[in-house]
Amino acid sequence: MSQNASTSDFLPAPAEGRVFALMRRRLLSTALAQTFSRARFRATLAVLLTAILWGGMFWMFHDGFQFLRDTNREIYADVVHGLFGAFLLTLMLMLIVSAGIILYGSLFRSREVGFLLTLPARTERVFLHKFQEALVLSSWGFVLLASPMLIAYGVVAQAPWYYYVLLLPLVVAFIYIPVAIGGILCLLVVRLVRDNPLAVLIGIGLLFAAASAWIGWGLWSGPQNDLLTPAWFQEVLSRLRIADQRLLPSWWLTQGVLDAADPEMLADATLFMTLLISNALFFRLVALWTAAGVYRPAYSGLRGRAYRRKRSHGAGFDRLLEWLMRPVPVPVRILVLKDLRLFRRDPLQWSQVLIFVGFLLVYFWTIPRFNYDAAAIGTYIGWVNMVSFLNVSVVGLLLSTFTTRFVYPVISLEGRRFWVLGLTGVRRQTILWAKFFFAAAGTLAPCSILVLISDLTLQVLWEVLLIHQLTSLVLCAGLAGISVGLGAWLPNLREESPARIAAGFGGTLTLVLSTLYILCVVVLMALPTHFHLAAQNATLSRYSAAWPNVQWWLTFWWIAGTAGSLLLGVAATVIPLRMGFRAFCRQEF
Amino acid sequence: MIEFQNVTRSFGRKVAVNGLTLAVDPGELFALLGPNGAGKTTTIKMLTGLLRPSSGSVSVCGCDLVKDQRDATRAIGYVPEEPFLYDKLSGREFLEFAGQMRGLDGPKLRECIARESDFFEMDDFLDDLAETYSHGMRQRLVFASALLHDPPVLVIDEPMIGLDPRSVREVKDRLRTQANSGTIVFMSTHTLAIAEEIADRIGIMDHGRLRFLGTQHELRDAVKSSHTSLEGLFLEMTNGHAAKGEAGAEQEARSESNRSADRSPPVANDP
Repeated sequence: MSQNASTSDFLPAPAEGRVFALMRRRLLSTALAQTFSRARFRATLAVLLTAILWGGMFWMFHDGFQFLRDTNREIYADVVHGLFGAFLLTLMLMLIVSAGIILYGSLFRSREVGFLLTLPARTERVFLHKFQEALVLSSWGFVLLASPMLIAYGVVAQAPWYYYVLLLPLVVAFIYIPVAIGGILCLLVVRLVRDNPLAVLIGIGLLFAAASAWIGWGLWSGPQNDLLTPAWFQEVLSRLRIADQRLLPSWWLTQGVLDAADPEMLADATLFMTLLISNALFFRLVALWTAAGVYRPAYSGLRGRAYRRKRSHGAGFDRLLEWLMRPVPVPVRILVLKDLRLFRRDPLQWSQVLIFVGFLLVYFWTIPRFNYDAAAIGTYIGWVNMVSFLNVSVVGLLLSTFTTRFVYPVISLEGRRFWVLGLTGVRRQTILWAKFFFAAAGTLAPCSILVLISDLTLQVLWEVLLIHQLTSLVLCAGLAGISVGLGAWLPNLREESPARIAAGFGGTLTLVLSTLYILCVVVLMALPTHFHLAAQNATLSRYSAAWPNVQWWLTFWWIAGTAGSLLLGVAATVIPLRMGFRAFCRQEF
Repeated sequence: MIEFQNVTRSFGRKVAVNGLTLAVDPGELFALLGPNGAGKTTTIKMLTGLLRPSSGSVSVCGCDLVKDQRDATRAIGYVPEEPFLYDKLSGREFLEFAGQMRGLDGPKLRECIARESDFFEMDDFLDDLAETYSHGMRQRLVFASALLHDPPVLVIDEPMIGLDPRSVREVKDRLRTQANSGTIVFMSTHTLAIAEEIADRIGIMDHGRLRFLGTQHELRDAVKSSHTSLEGLFLEMTNGHAAKGEAGAEQEARSESNRSADRSPPVANDP
């Protein structure tokens, strides 16, 4: 090679793209081949469970759309438009935040970019490579949630075949826009903010959370009577206008989907699809321009941040915790404290959970705006029971994302530093018990508090409050058992990023099983509780004549349901933990 | 040629590299020595374009690492201290990716891979996934990747970590051969013996400053005049600053610089 290199013989951009694509394809095919050759059963199970979850959501959305259509035929289209708009706007804001945070980790903290930036690759190519990764990582949840909803809508609306064809480009182009905006924000923040850009990114996330809360407040503020009646829907519809902004990509997608389902509106659907695609390409271009000018100086600048000695904080809190955990065996106590310190000192770990908890608190705060008619005791009990158990499910689902994202990868991450624990002489079972204890206790406190806030806001009966606290306990123990057990059973000892570990096969399986577990526990508890309480009021007393023993049977069902959910909780805790214990004891590090 | 012109790199108030001026010519094997935290890795990261200087400039083969970054990095083969490999790619696939990014393709790429595989004796494992490699195998693969396109500049951060004695011997011979054929070899190391054995010129860094710059011969003269071993000289040059604060270190650096001027060629001058 000549001593003075010239720019004439650089790899052309398309060829460079092909080299990256080939590398990515090889990585993917190897990972897939390994998954299906070494763990065929696990892979099949994960696919099956994901399909069941997808089917359940499809069924729920299908029945929901049918109910809406049958009860509110005149305003059905408007209500669906409003619901889609609000739902997609919220998801768009969340995608911006999640893409920004994921890209911060992959563009500025991963070892891979340290290698790629020393190659003569275009800077924007390196950015694009990580951007595509973030696109998949941040949107798979969206796809899992939105696809059954959109397909269910198409089925109910008896949409033509091309509706289903158009869905793919519509959704992909839509997802591209917030992820690109998240990427641009991430680059600019790291470039412009000298100290602690991650804190600024989290701050922007909180701003978006506040915006979403504002949308929620707009939806539910004001008096709302006669729930699920046409008048109530009309009221909701007027509030959904908040998301009815024609400059928003969420509005374009909403309009595109609704038009695609209408055989007479194909041209309009195509127009909105083109609008989304052209905007996606525009934001892609802006993101690449920004990356070309900003990424390298931002990368270098981040590493040139003021050097500060990091001292440990929170010693008082640790001492308090240590005191509270006196009954726990010493090795478990030490391991739990270690995990807690690691968790506390990594803002990436807890900031996203904090945002979701914020969302939930705002939601609970808005519940009293439903001014249900407390005098009509039958409606009151039915409504409150339904909403309160729904809230327990939502809190459980939040916790399941937490245990999947943060608890499941813990064993895998421990693998690389296992020599530290291995040389301490602590039994491997003790290590897993400590992880379980950490996860169960760590989730129980916020779960109980959130459920309590919800119950106090809804003014539920004291029996229901107790049942909910019991449900929280069962949920937390089971979720901790599933995540720790599967984390030990299906560890990924090669991966360093917790996000990638959680997004892998084992993480997906953990999330799917956790979701099914939550649904089963809540249904087992909620249905008999609801009917037992409803039977105690006058509205159902007329059935007593037809079924003289109805009260006895409902009480029996209530007790049996509670016992069943307790048994399920024990099974969900013990079985995965046993599997995990066995695998972990056999594991060679 | 590699040129550092009055390069300073700060991390907030901490100055990692302070006013470094240095030139390394084609065919020269240059070893940068220094204790932990001396600024060696920061220097190498600026040389590979990962970090930008706070002031001053770094250029490779006439290309500025900031303004003509792609031209400059194309001329460099880099072996980092903690190399990155894609675990789900085989060694051959990794070399193909690195080679293609450097513009190699087709028979030429296969020929280069065969050459390096032969030299580093990787035939047995080159088609296995990198996740199955030992540390030494990974290190050999990264060396092969850095040398694949026959770069005019080879930058190595701690070259011998993880290699067995035979591989160490082979790498040392290869580095010497590369330098003899006109390649600039710029390596940073803690191992004094390696620098003493193969380097044409040695630079000793401490607290971001170049404390000594000279040839093997000049280094031996310095060792003789101070009546100590190479290790003793190294410790004398670097230990004196370790326990001092920054102000003290600065003062020491100035007096050290004056003393160095008496016993070695001026720091940061061309050889």
